[in-house]
Amino acid sequence: MAAPFTLRKIGVPPNSANLTEARRRVFDFFRASCRSIPTIMDIYNLQDVVAPSQLRFAISAQIRNNAHITDPKVIDLLLFKGMEELTDIVDHAKQRHHIIGQYVVGEGLVQNTGSKDQGKSDFLKNFYTSNYF
Amino acid sequence: MVTSFTSSISMQPRLSATTTTRFGLQKPVSVFNTNLTLRPRSMPARLAISCAAKQETVEKVSEIVKKQLSLSQDQKVTAGTKFTDLGADSLDTVEIVMGLEEEFGITMAEERAKEIATVQQAAELIEELVLEKTT
Repeated sequence: MAAPFTLRKIGVPPNSANLTEARRRVFDFFRASCRSIPTIMDIYNLQDVVAPSQLRFAISAQIRNNAHITDPKVIDLLLFKGMEELTDIVDHAKQRHHIIGQYVVGEGLVQNTGSKDQGKSDFLKNFYTSNYF
Repeated sequence: MVTSFTSSISMQPRLSATTTTRFGLQKPVSVFNTNLTLRPRSMPARLAISCAAKQETVEKVSEIVKKQLSLSQDQKVTAGTKFTDLGADSLDTVEIVMGLEEEFGITMAEERAKEIATVQQAAELIEELVLEKTT
């Protein structure tokens, strides 16, 4: 087995100069998070709940969500928030139900209980997801 | 006392040792002194590249690629297939590399992982790293 991967906490790096560098940082972040997945599964006992490939897919889905952004500074900020989230998770600052609710089941557990308000108004559905619609 | 022994004689069908694709398989020729080939080796154009990686590694890589990109099982993935041809974008490529890292228990350096574009390159890099790990 290769040497276990440890997330090194470095200070905030300067802004990326161009899109290429921002892209490189995105891939570095993705690699770091994927390599932390065994640690995460160990900390939160997710062995029976989810497979590593599903977690990888969840991470890449979140990254893909913002794939349309072209401003390097915005990308840097998103990466900063992502890095913060990853550090929190690896530091065991979150709890198991957070991880399961946010990354295993999907965007919130409301999705799973959709059968309860089937056929109800769109107003309620929008109301559950956000304040602004 | 008649004891009946039920013995089942199973005839194993003779399986050919070689599997579907073997690149550059030469028909055995009896040579005494000269390298006289009686029959010319037929090489189809698409098998012109010599496969330096083991077939099973290529198979495993293809499986992971198919699962990652959600391709159907009968989609043809050969050694020379590029990931972008199968509809993968750059993030998909990185994800495939990560899946391979997990499957084979290796860690790929970023510079080398960037160059991976086909199944063939991935399999070769994997074998190299597995070899390094065991030695």
